[in-house]
Amino acid sequence: MSNEAHEKAEISRRDFLGLASLGAAVISSLTVLTGVLRMFKPNVRYEESTKFKIGKAEDFPEGTVKKLDERGLFIFSKDDGLYAISAVCTHLGCIVNQTDWGFQCPCHGSRYNEHGKVIAGPAPRNLDWHEISKTVDGILEVDTAKSVPAGTKFKLYA
Amino acid sequence: MRNRFFSWILFLSGVVLLIFTLIAAYREMTPEWKKYQAQYKEQIIKTAKDNAVRQKAGALASEVQQIYLGALNKIDRCVSCHIGVENPMMDNAKLPLKQHSGDYLKNHPPDKFGCTVCHYGQGRATNKKEAHGIGHDTHWDFPVMPLKYIQSSCTQCHDYEMLGAKGYDTIAKGAKLFTEKGCRGCHKLNGIGGALGKKLDIVGSQPIAYFPMRFVEGERNTYNWHKQHFADPRVLVPESQMKISVKPEETDLLATYVLSLRSGEMPKDYRKIKGIMTVGKPDEGEALYKMFCIACHTDGKQSYFDEIFNRTIPAIVNKAFLKTADDKYIKKTVEEGRAGTQMTSWKTAAGGLAEGEINKLISYITKERPSAKPERFNIAGFKPDEKRGEELYKVRCALCHGKKGEGELGINLRNPVTQAADPEFLALTVRDGRTETPMPAFGKKGIGLTEKDIADVVSYVKTLSKKK
Amino acid sequence: MSELKQSGIDSFKHNIKSAFKSFASSFLRSGKPTSDRSRAAAVFNNFFLHVQGVKTHINTLRPAYTLGLGLISFFLLIITIISGVLLMVYYSPSIEHAYNSVKDINFVVFAGRLIRNMHKWAGEGMIIFVLLHMARVFYTSSYKNGRQFNWVIGLALLILTFGINLSGYMLPWDQLSYWALVIVANIIQSPKELTDSLGITGFFDIGGFSKELFLGGLTAGKESLTRVYLLHIMLLPIFLFIFLGVHFWRIRKDGGLTKPDVFEPKAIDAALIALPEKKGGIFPANKTYGLMELAHGKTPVVDRDVENTVLSWPNLLIAEAALFVLCLAGVIVYSFFIDAPLKELANPMIPENPAKAPWYFLGLQELLSYSAFMGGVGLPGLALLGLGLIPYLDREEQHLGIWFSNKQGKRVAIESLIASALVIIGLLAFVINFGWFRSWWPNVPQLLITLINPGNIWVGFMILWSVYVIKKTGSTRMGAIALFTMFLISYLIYTYVGTELRGPNWDFFWSRSEWPIH
Repeated sequence: MSNEAHEKAEISRRDFLGLASLGAAVISSLTVLTGVLRMFKPNVRYEESTKFKIGKAEDFPEGTVKKLDERGLFIFSKDDGLYAISAVCTHLGCIVNQTDWGFQCPCHGSRYNEHGKVIAGPAPRNLDWHEISKTVDGILEVDTAKSVPAGTKFKLYA
Repeated sequence: MRNRFFSWILFLSGVVLLIFTLIAAYREMTPEWKKYQAQYKEQIIKTAKDNAVRQKAGALASEVQQIYLGALNKIDRCVSCHIGVENPMMDNAKLPLKQHSGDYLKNHPPDKFGCTVCHYGQGRATNKKEAHGIGHDTHWDFPVMPLKYIQSSCTQCHDYEMLGAKGYDTIAKGAKLFTEKGCRGCHKLNGIGGALGKKLDIVGSQPIAYFPMRFVEGERNTYNWHKQHFADPRVLVPESQMKISVKPEETDLLATYVLSLRSGEMPKDYRKIKGIMTVGKPDEGEALYKMFCIACHTDGKQSYFDEIFNRTIPAIVNKAFLKTADDKYIKKTVEEGRAGTQMTSWKTAAGGLAEGEINKLISYITKERPSAKPERFNIAGFKPDEKRGEELYKVRCALCHGKKGEGELGINLRNPVTQAADPEFLALTVRDGRTETPMPAFGKKGIGLTEKDIADVVSYVKTLSKKK
Repeated sequence: MSELKQSGIDSFKHNIKSAFKSFASSFLRSGKPTSDRSRAAAVFNNFFLHVQGVKTHINTLRPAYTLGLGLISFFLLIITIISGVLLMVYYSPSIEHAYNSVKDINFVVFAGRLIRNMHKWAGEGMIIFVLLHMARVFYTSSYKNGRQFNWVIGLALLILTFGINLSGYMLPWDQLSYWALVIVANIIQSPKELTDSLGITGFFDIGGFSKELFLGGLTAGKESLTRVYLLHIMLLPIFLFIFLGVHFWRIRKDGGLTKPDVFEPKAIDAALIALPEKKGGIFPANKTYGLMELAHGKTPVVDRDVENTVLSWPNLLIAEAALFVLCLAGVIVYSFFIDAPLKELANPMIPENPAKAPWYFLGLQELLSYSAFMGGVGLPGLALLGLGLIPYLDREEQHLGIWFSNKQGKRVAIESLIASALVIIGLLAFVINFGWFRSWWPNVPQLLITLINPGNIWVGFMILWSVYVIKKTGSTRMGAIALFTMFLISYLIYTYVGTELRGPNWDFFWSRSEWPIH
C-alpha cells in the first residue's frame, strides 16, 4: 500500500515532460490569444487629441463664461475658481447652448441646469465636468477624456 | 402526389422568376439616357451636311457618358442625357439635347469643369429625377439650382469686379446689399460680426436638414429657404429676432450672395482669385456703420421700441446723447457691448473690430456732436443716499427701466458699461433727458427732481448690477 | 508486335471518343438515378448532398409541419452571400468612398440596383424567417429528445444573423448608417449606466472599453467603418458557417427532423411510399441494411423496415428546389419594386431625429429608452439566457412533433398571447401618458430607474405568468409555451412601437404623418 502511494507521489520523467509540454502549449496559446485580443484595442486615435491648451489665467476674467465651440466646452470663471463643463449633449453629441437657467440642446430638447444636471429631455446623463490643470509653462489645459465630479473648480491662486 | 405539389411550386416560381429576370434585364438595358442618345444620333444624321459627321454619328456608342474630374473629386454624368451640350448643331434642339446657352463653355470646357460645379444637382446619377435631385425622396441636398441664383457659383473662382465688368452683377449687387444692410451686426463672417445670429461662413454649403423647413412654401430646398427667409425671417423661424427690410427683388440678390458662401476651395489652377472670394471690412466710418450698426440702429437719430427685441434700441447719433456722452463712454459701449441686451461686444476678441476701426466708427457717430457743452452737474459734491435713491427709482424709473434695471422701454442699466459710466454722465442724462427719445428730463426744467434727488438715484442705479 | 501497336492506337482513339463520358462518370459515379440504388447513391456519394439522409421521413416533407422555414432561412443566406460577394466588387470600405461607391452601384453598375436590393431584402428577410423558424422548432417541441444542443447552436446563429445584418446596415455611410452606428455604440456603452450608479466606472469601465473597441476610437469614424466591414464580411460569417455546419450535422446525428410518435401517412403520401425494388437476393423485399438508414431510434434495427420514409432523391430534393426557386423569385420580385433606402451622406453635425437603429433592433431601442443598461444589456441578455435554458428546463418527452403539443397547449398559447398583449399595451399606455420616475421626482437616483422600469416589469410579468402556468397545468412544457409566446408577442409589439409609433425625440405619435416637420 505504502509502495503504491510512494509510486503515486513520484512523477515519472515521461509524465513530467508530457505535463511540461502541455503546460507550455497552454501557456503559449493563452499568450497568443491575449495578444490577439489586445490587438483589437487601438493605441492611437484618428481624432483630435482630448488634451488641449485653452489659454492663460488672464484670458478668463472673473465672472465670465467662454464657449469654445470647436472643443465643445464652456469655461466658467468664478471667484472661487475655474471650471469646465462639456457642451456636448449626452444624448447624441450635439453642442448645447447656454441659457439663463442652464443649457439647452437644440437637437432633441434636452435641458440641463447651470451645473449640467439633466432636468428634461432624452439625455441619459448629466453634462461632464472636465479637468482643468496648469502645464509647466504656466498655460491652462483641459483634458476632455478626464471627467471630474461636478463642482470641482480649479483654483487659480492656490 | 406531394411531389406534384412541389413540382407545381417549382414550375410556377420558375416562371415568375424567369419573367421578372427578363423584365429586370430589359430594364437594365433600357435606361433613360439611351433614348436621348438615340434621338441625338438620329438628329445629327438627319441634319448633318457633312458625310464624315454623319458617319461619325452613325458610329456613336450607346453608353453612359461621364466627365471624370479628379481635381474636383467629382464625376458628372449629366452628359449621358445632355449629350448635345457642346454641339452647335443642337442649338435649336429640345432639352435635354439642346446646346448650352451663351458662350460659357468656351472658358469653362465641360471636360475640365463638368456641370455640377456651377449648376449643382447629383452628378453621379443616371436618371433625371435623381440627377436633378427633385423631391425629398432623392435625399440630395443640392438639387439643380434655379438659374436666377447661378452666379453664386461664379465666385468660387472669380471676383465681383471681373464679373460686374462682364455684366454679371447679380452677385455683386447681393454682396453690396450685405455690406450696407448691417447684416454683420448679428452674423459673423470670417470671424467678424455679431453673435446674435448664426455664423454665415459656409451657409451656402449647409444641407437641407440644417434649416427649419417646416414653413417653406413650395419645394423644401435651401434656395427657397434663403429667399423666403430674407422676405420675412419670422415666417420660417418664428423665434427669430432678425431685423431686415429689403424689397422683394432684393431677396433674390441676397439669396445669390448667401448661396455663394461655400465650404471648400477650388483647386489653384481653377481659381482666378487668391484664396476665397469674400467681403472684407470697410476702411471708413460710414461704411463700417452700415456694415455693423445700421440694421438695429437705423440712422441712429431716434430711439424706438422694437417689438421683436422687446426692448428700446437707443439713439446713438442723437444730439442730446452726443452732448452728454464722451468718446470714452461711447467707445467702451461699442467695445464691451451691453451684456443682457442684444448689443454685441465689438472688440477684437469678440466682434472682431480692430481698435482703429472702432475709432473710425466713433468719429462717424460723433460727427454731429453739438459744440455747446451741457451745464455741469457737480455730483461729487453730494453724499449719496442709496435708500432714498431706491425709493425714487421705484417711483420714477422702474416703469421704463425695469424693477432691476433690465430695461424694456428704457435702456438696460445693469450692464457693466453703464454701471462703470461716469456718474456725472448719468446725472446729466437724468437731469436733461434725451430729446427724440422717450426719456424725459427729470431735472428742474422738466419733471422737477432736485439735484439731491438725482444724485441719490444715480447712486442707487450704480448698485443695480449687484441685485440678482 | 504489330498487334500490340494496333491495340495501342485503337485504345487511344477509343479513349478520345469516350473522353466526355468517362470524364462525367468520374464525378457522377453513381450514374443516372434511375433505380432506388442509384438514387440512394446520388445522395450518399455527393459531397454537398450527403449531409442529408438517403431517406427522408414523410413528416419532414409536409409543408404544414415545417413551413420550410429553416430551408428558407438557409436559401436567403445563399442569396445574400452571392449578392454580397457581387457587391464587394464595387463597394469601397473607406469613409471617403463608401457612399459614392454605393451610389455608383445603384446608378452605373449593371444590375447593381437590383443586386443591392436583393442583398438588403434577403438579408433582412433572414431575420424574419430565422425568428419564424425558431418559433416552429419551439412549438413542435423539436428542442427535445437529444436536440437540446442544436437549439443552443440555433440561438448562436440567431445572434450572428442579427450581427451580420447590423454591421451591413452601417456600410453605406449615409445618415442612416452613421447614426445607427452612434446609437449602437451607445448601446454597447450601456453598462456605464450601472457602473456609474455603483460608482465603479473609475476602475471598471466595461461600457466605455467595449465602445472604444467597437468604434476603434472614441467617436464614429474611419476606424469604425473598417471594423464593421471586417465583422460583416469575415469574422461573423466565419462563425456563421462553422455554426451552420454544426447545426446541419447535428440534425442528422439527432435523427433528422422530429415527427409525432404516432404517425399516420395520408392518402397524398401513399404514392411516395413505394416498396423498394428488390430483385432477387436472399432477404425479403422490404428489408434493407445500411448505416445511412435511420429507423425508429438512432441505430439500424434489424428485422424492422424504415417506416414511412421515402428516398431523398427525388422527393426531398424537389421540395428543396421548389423552395429555393420560390425564395429567389420572391426576393427578385420584391427587389424589383422596392429600393433599399439610401439617404444623404453621413453628417456628424446633423443628427437624424429620431436616430433609429435598424427595425429589428427598435424593440430593444424602446426598452433602452426606459433604461440604457436594462435595454441594452440586461433584458436582451436575460431573453437569450431564457431562450437558451428552455430545452433544459422543459424535459417532458411527450407530444414531440406536434404543433402546440395538444389542445391545452393551444389554449395556453392563446391565453398568453392575450395576457401579454394587454400587459404590454397597458405598460406602454402608462409610460406614454404619465412618464416614469424622473418625470415625477427629478432627483430620483438612476439606480432605482435601472431596477424598476417598464421593461423590467414586463419581463417580471413574463416570468411570473409562466411559473403560474406551470403550477396550474403541472407541466413545464406549458410553461415554456407561455414564456415563448410572450417573448414573440413582446418582440412584435415593441418592434412595432419602435418603428411606427416613435417619432422625433422618441415622442409618441399615432402615425408618421403626425411627425412635426423640422
